[in-house]
Amino acid sequence: MGPIVELKGVDKDYPLGKVTVRALRGVDLTIHKGEFTTIAGPSGSGKTTLLNLVGCVDVPTRGTVQVAGQETSKLNDRALTSLRLHHLGFIFQTFNLIGVLDVYQNVEFPLLLKGGMDKAARDRRVREIIEKVQLTEQLRQKPNELSGGQRQRVAIARALVAGPSIVLADEPTANLDSVTGGAIIDLMRDLNEKEHTTFIFSTHDHRVMEHARRRVRLEDGMIVDAGLADATPFPEAPAVEAAEASA
Amino acid sequence: MSNLGVLLRIALTSLFSHKTKSLIVGSIMFFGTLLVVLGTGLLDAVELSMQKSITSSLAGHLQIHSSDAKDDLALFGGMAGPNADIGELDHFDEVKRVVEGVPNVKVAVPMGLGTAVANADSEIEIVLAKLRKAVREGQAEDVGPLKEQVRQILTAYSKELSNKEALVAATAELAEERSILDKATGEPFWADFDAHPVDSLEFLDTKAAPLLGDGRMMYFRFVGTDVPLFARSFDRFKIVRGEMVPAGQRGMLISQRMYDRMVKHPTARQFDEIHEAVTLTGRVIAQDTSLQERIERMSRQYGRILFQLRPDDARKLEAELGAMFPDKKGDLAKLLEAFLKVDDATLASRYRYFYDVMAPMLRLYAVDIGQDLTLRGFTRSGYMKSVNIKIYGTFAFDGLEGSDLAGGMNVVDMLTFRELYGQMTASQRAELKDLSASVARTDVGREEAEDAMFGGDDASEGLVGEMGAGDAGARAVLDKLQSGKLELANGGSSALPFIQEELDHGLALNVAVILDDPDRLDETRAAIVKAGQDAGLTLKVLDWQEASGLVGQFVVVVRLVLWVAILIIFTVALVIINNSMVMATMERTGEIGTMRALGAPRSFVVAMFLIETMVLGLGSGALGALAGAGVLAWLGSVGIPAGNEVVVFLFGGPHLYPAVGLSNMLSAVGIIVSVSLAATAYPSVLASNIQPVEAMRTQ
Repeated sequence: MGPIVELKGVDKDYPLGKVTVRALRGVDLTIHKGEFTTIAGPSGSGKTTLLNLVGCVDVPTRGTVQVAGQETSKLNDRALTSLRLHHLGFIFQTFNLIGVLDVYQNVEFPLLLKGGMDKAARDRRVREIIEKVQLTEQLRQKPNELSGGQRQRVAIARALVAGPSIVLADEPTANLDSVTGGAIIDLMRDLNEKEHTTFIFSTHDHRVMEHARRRVRLEDGMIVDAGLADATPFPEAPAVEAAEASA
Repeated sequence: MSNLGVLLRIALTSLFSHKTKSLIVGSIMFFGTLLVVLGTGLLDAVELSMQKSITSSLAGHLQIHSSDAKDDLALFGGMAGPNADIGELDHFDEVKRVVEGVPNVKVAVPMGLGTAVANADSEIEIVLAKLRKAVREGQAEDVGPLKEQVRQILTAYSKELSNKEALVAATAELAEERSILDKATGEPFWADFDAHPVDSLEFLDTKAAPLLGDGRMMYFRFVGTDVPLFARSFDRFKIVRGEMVPAGQRGMLISQRMYDRMVKHPTARQFDEIHEAVTLTGRVIAQDTSLQERIERMSRQYGRILFQLRPDDARKLEAELGAMFPDKKGDLAKLLEAFLKVDDATLASRYRYFYDVMAPMLRLYAVDIGQDLTLRGFTRSGYMKSVNIKIYGTFAFDGLEGSDLAGGMNVVDMLTFRELYGQMTASQRAELKDLSASVARTDVGREEAEDAMFGGDDASEGLVGEMGAGDAGARAVLDKLQSGKLELANGGSSALPFIQEELDHGLALNVAVILDDPDRLDETRAAIVKAGQDAGLTLKVLDWQEASGLVGQFVVVVRLVLWVAILIIFTVALVIINNSMVMATMERTGEIGTMRALGAPRSFVVAMFLIETMVLGLGSGALGALAGAGVLAWLGSVGIPAGNEVVVFLFGGPHLYPAVGLSNMLSAVGIIVSVSLAATAYPSVLASNIQPVEAMRTQ
């Protein structure tokens, strides 16, 4: 399959007081549709910056970023918003659920923004995805009534509900205990296999990395390992046990 | 549209989850709307009531006067004072014909405003006048008691003077007063009275009586009009005492309010006012220093009662009051003073006693119904003019009995008005012509005036020179003119009847127009202006509000004050709402960033904030408007009592009954929603500028 994300010679500088932080330096990265990629690296190596660029919430200082065939630095705010809405799903490290909405409403939110779906179809889709993340019983609960794992599952359901071509996840297991974290990885791997959704994770969680087909490694804003050599399918062994054994 | 659903849902949930903020902002919106509904509702009611007061008491719906006016017409008093120059309408009937030909005009009433004074004689002057009459007519049985009354008044005053002498340093004037009083109260003077009544009376009139001060001056504002037509046209008009001035007769009706305030015996009036203050407004004398002061003042004026008592009444009262105040027995002055010093316990019984026992002994009103009154005033050209006029009765405007504004105007017939205004009737002009002929007056042009008066080269040729030669007739007229005593018609002019044509075909200053349908006021006003132009009349047409002067502007001023207050409140509301929304924006940065990252456009964020305030504004505004309407409805059923006489006029009666206006409610909610939206504009733009990358930062 063709490339869905393509970064060429990307630099990203941040002003920080009087100095400029070079978060990314000369990054070249191509990710194909259906890939399950992790981006690893120590804190401050530029993982989040890279995800922001791919997620169209930020544009590069130099170089080009193409997402779903469009070069993001050439798009205005409206077009970038539309690109996010139609092609991207976000799973945030801190879940970022909308506090005033319940589980159902949080998951429904992207569908409402996207429009073009009648109420019945929307309802079907929302319930289907909630069932997948096993939150049917928490349908009418507010985020503050849920456990960390449940919240993360709502976030995943929300990221997936509109059927995005790319799902971006920033340290999705960082705030979870190992059991919950493992279950979530299973869920996403399942989706990747069945629906060919492209997953890009930033993580330094070994359990996650072990399940990835491709492991990109960043250090000091540069790609030190594009992970192409290790581009293997998922190991056949049950993921959770393997992860826990290594922990 | 599915966005609107989610926006509403977010708005509602957000409002509920930020209860304190919603409560504070909502309360401001609630009270803002309440204030607008209540304020505008009350003002509308006042305006309507005041319109009723003004149109039904004096102004009519429209007022017409000459466009030659130098001042503005101000029926209830204005900047130009009572003698404002509003021009003249030479022939009322011409205006009447034109105006009454316009559709929707019910009637045109001629008017002319003026002021005059009349004297109420002092107590001693009244008694002396009676004594003089009794002496002249040889009624010996009356002379005795009247002599005793005069002596009693002077003795009482002599005692007062003793008090004064004890307090102040001796002066020549004081010594002279003392010598006059000693003579006037002494035995030899009264023993000699019957032998030399004329000399004795002259001494009392010119020396003794003036010591006790002048009589009261009564000040009358009046409207000259076609009295029967006036009474028919203003539907609130009613006769309170006496009778209507008959058609074709000269006469005056005094407003009952003025009759009770100005013509009534001052002690009785003060007693009325104190009694009213306690019974109507529930004030307590023991706790009210201003009432205590008034009572103190009233009690010191016992002389106003004492001096009016006939000897036998005085003895009777002394016996009765002596039983009430045994320690002050024997001194009527002290007894009266003690009687008038009322407190909360004694007010009711003494007020009753005053009217049951004492009032019949007194001259309760300085002018009696059916009597003649001498009105004096300055004519438009500035000379003094006096007219005797019969007082036919008193009148009031229904519901406005308690108002000084509505009751400040008295009614005289149009011909008397013209006389006081200085316009001469045909017969007076003829009389003046005869008079001129008898003093050999010559008409002289301005250029030759100097020569004519002082002679060209020879001083003896001029008018002044001739008069210096001595012309008894001319000198007498000149003296009269100078002393202001010349009355061109005789003093008893009120007896002269007149015909309707004389009234209609003469001068009026302004015309009150009453309409069939007051709602078509503007249209009719324009029609009258046009009809006037077509007929070659230069008329100025005012609506009731413009014509009433400062009073009419009252509502405008209060409305202005109310809107300024509303503006201030809403400015405060705007700042508070704006502030709390900016805070909310900062609090919700992560949430907004998340929404943006998920693909919500900026407009979604702006709409989210605007809808949130709109929901709050509509909710609080609707509640506030309903609460305001509830208060208005309640006030409308119980009525707001008019606290004082000015308010009676504004309220169109003793109570104001406001009504709930749907348009007031809708506009109040509209205003609050607009203010809320304006207050949210900046925060919502601020929120829409939050970048999606914010979602990536830790929450």
